Amino acid sequence: MTDFQRLLEALTRGGVEFVIIGGFAATAHGSAHVTVDLDVVYGRSADNVARLAEALRPLSPYLRGAPPGLPFLFDADTIGRGLNFTLTTTAGDLDVLGEATGGGTFEALLPRSIVRQVFGLDCRFVDLETLIQLKRAAGRPKDMERIAELEALKDEG
Amino acid sequence: MLPLGTELLPVSLERTPVIEAYKKDVDRTLLRENLKLSTEQRVEKMLAALRLVEELHRARRQAAR
Repeated sequence: MTDFQRLLEALTRGGVEFVIIGGFAATAHGSAHVTVDLDVVYGRSADNVARLAEALRPLSPYLRGAPPGLPFLFDADTIGRGLNFTLTTTAGDLDVLGEATGGGTFEALLPRSIVRQVFGLDCRFVDLETLIQLKRAAGRPKDMERIAELEALKDEG
Repeated sequence: MLPLGTELLPVSLERTPVIEAYKKDVDRTLLRENLKLSTEQRVEKMLAALRLVEELHRARRQAAR
């Protein structure tokens, strides 16, 4: 089971600039669904990429679903040459995205985010309207039920 | 490093028949209860449900042996 607290502690204490999206953000907004991984959009500045690599290093990040033993090193160079990574870590599954579908970069999401305290940490979540926008942009059939719930939350809020 | 945009792509937030159809099945009583909670409490509630799901999976695996 994903240890959300450990993942968020690693990122926040490492000084990483990120915005939480996906199912965990939906939970923060009141969704009744269960989510099994953490999705974050990180800032792509060189400093932040270095902080991200350093923050996750103790959690031994590895490509989720990849065969074991690949020469994969989640360092600043790897992050800089890539963009979106679906990782497994010793604290569970973590998706670190340079850009979510629909143009959701850190810079685009920052003004559309709110800070809420979770596990005693100040965490930045994408706002409900933008979460709906990102889900709609992804356009995946499996998201339809989630979008309906998020829009119902907006109606109720 | 590739330059990235700073704007979200425009996406229609108009009501669609498909999403409206799904909305009819949303249990709003659960949402209303969640909206009474703090963010921290909502996360704790989800984690409790997740622990239960994990326990049920574990029990199913054990029963299958």
